[in-house]
Amino acid sequence: MMSFWMLLKEKLVQIVLLVFAVVTIEIFLMIYSFDSFIKIYIPVIIFGLYMVGFIYEYLIKKRYYDELQKTIDGLDEKYLITEIMKTSNFVEGKILNDILSQVDKSMHEQVNKYKYLQEDYKEFIELWIHEVKLPLATSKMIIENNKNKVTKSIEEELDSIENYIEQALFYARSSAVEKDYSIRKCNLKDIVSESIKKNKTSLIEEKGEINIHDLDNVVSTDSKWIVFILSQIIQNSVKYRNKKLLLNIEIYSEPKKDNTVLYIRDNGIGIKKGEISRVFDKGFTGTNGRLAGKKSTGIGLYLCKKLCEKLGVSINVMSTEGDGTLISLVFPNSSFVRLK
Amino acid sequence: MDKILIAEDDEKLRNELEIFLNNNGYETIGLKTFDDTLNDILKINPRLLLLDINLPGADGEYICKELRKKSNMPIIIITSRDNEIDELLSINNGADHYVTKPFNIHILLAKINSLLRRSNMVSDKVVIDAGDFVLNVDKSTIEKDGNVLELTKNEFRILKFLVQNMDKIVTREEIMICLWDSDSFIGDSTLTVNMTRLRNKLDEMGLENLIETKRGQGYILKRRR
Repeated sequence: MMSFWMLLKEKLVQIVLLVFAVVTIEIFLMIYSFDSFIKIYIPVIIFGLYMVGFIYEYLIKKRYYDELQKTIDGLDEKYLITEIMKTSNFVEGKILNDILSQVDKSMHEQVNKYKYLQEDYKEFIELWIHEVKLPLATSKMIIENNKNKVTKSIEEELDSIENYIEQALFYARSSAVEKDYSIRKCNLKDIVSESIKKNKTSLIEEKGEINIHDLDNVVSTDSKWIVFILSQIIQNSVKYRNKKLLLNIEIYSEPKKDNTVLYIRDNGIGIKKGEISRVFDKGFTGTNGRLAGKKSTGIGLYLCKKLCEKLGVSINVMSTEGDGTLISLVFPNSSFVRLK
Repeated sequence: MDKILIAEDDEKLRNELEIFLNNNGYETIGLKTFDDTLNDILKINPRLLLLDINLPGADGEYICKELRKKSNMPIIIITSRDNEIDELLSINNGADHYVTKPFNIHILLAKINSLLRRSNMVSDKVVIDAGDFVLNVDKSTIEKDGNVLELTKNEFRILKFLVQNMDKIVTREEIMICLWDSDSFIGDSTLTVNMTRLRNKLDEMGLENLIETKRGQGYILKRRR
């Protein structure tokens, strides 16, 4: 905030010069023995009028800058200040207005440039992903028509490539500026079924027991995104299973007053207490990720969190080391859906 | 035989699809030129159309829309565009199903089956003749010499899968994948229980040792008559 003393300090040179001028005048007045009325009148009129001018300037500037400060404090996106800022009627303020507008304009140009570049890159990634899915589909068809041990093994590798491609696609989608999903009413049962089917090869291979119940609930969301998220979670359950036990995955839902919660529970090796809060961090692999043969990238759960945020779904994880993991997805009821 | 037209410009994928569908008892035609796709399709007038979206010349969405004005043949769209908006668009244009690449071939097959069954209103696929007994798909029953026996859904699916792969060894994994594709996510031990029950029921019908176990490989059902 602009204070009286700040402005006074700025005018110090002026005041010193003025005092010097008045003192010299007074000396001359004394030498030529003028009337004492004139000797008093001159300093009083000079300092008095200067003070009036100073206070006037102070009030105008204070009013303008204080209001500006208040407006910018109330703004979430500070750069919008140029749009709502009043033009001032004094010269410094006008220069400030002008410079801010120019800065703003050039910033917008820069931001747009990068927005465009990112959009362009995202489009390329999506195109590339569509292209690469064709040879993938063909390879899988060839395998289907030539089933044997070798092709089965290749198919498993193709599944893993497919998953990495999906991750890339959703990564591009998750950081897109514009909306890239469509919200519809969908039944959790269908979504869960689809994500299990997607991972059936590895689940059957690991002799996983699937226990799904109480899933006949409708939520408003983008089913494809949720299938991807569930798929990542299921893959983690397979990856971090407890080798001493039979893999068991339980998926169920529970409708509540304001939301519907979907739970995914496994009996895997769990997560260390100190690491739970970081599992959604990008690139975090943790103790489990460093176990032999896990090939953890630290991207899966990070993406889940990011996509959930966009959809307005909250994702939580509970786990006891050695005793499995419980992940919950909270879908707000349709009237509460607030999209980002 | 049901004629299926495959409008897919990738030659390799088209050929593999044809092989797969032929193996599963369908007659297929692969469209090879795409200069006048719409009229070619109308001329061939298949029982079902597998349509790729990204075709040279007129794209699949347009073709689908135009076809619907003149024909109500079942259409399954095959595409690599995987998002809700494209799917909605295709369904709005009159497609019956929307399958994304890389597709689950068994689900595609199931969709083809159900579409053909619905559109033809014929019962040739409802009853499967397995030699000395008959499977009734609608009622989940088997019939032998006038005796009818009801099976549970899973038992029936297992038997149907074995009949469809008659005289071939079928692994436990393949049976499980087949069951999982129809939303029955049973585990290894449940499969064993289902197999035992199915065999007991078949024994009751006088179909002893119909399903043979091949140790370390799987099961086989051999044609008897």
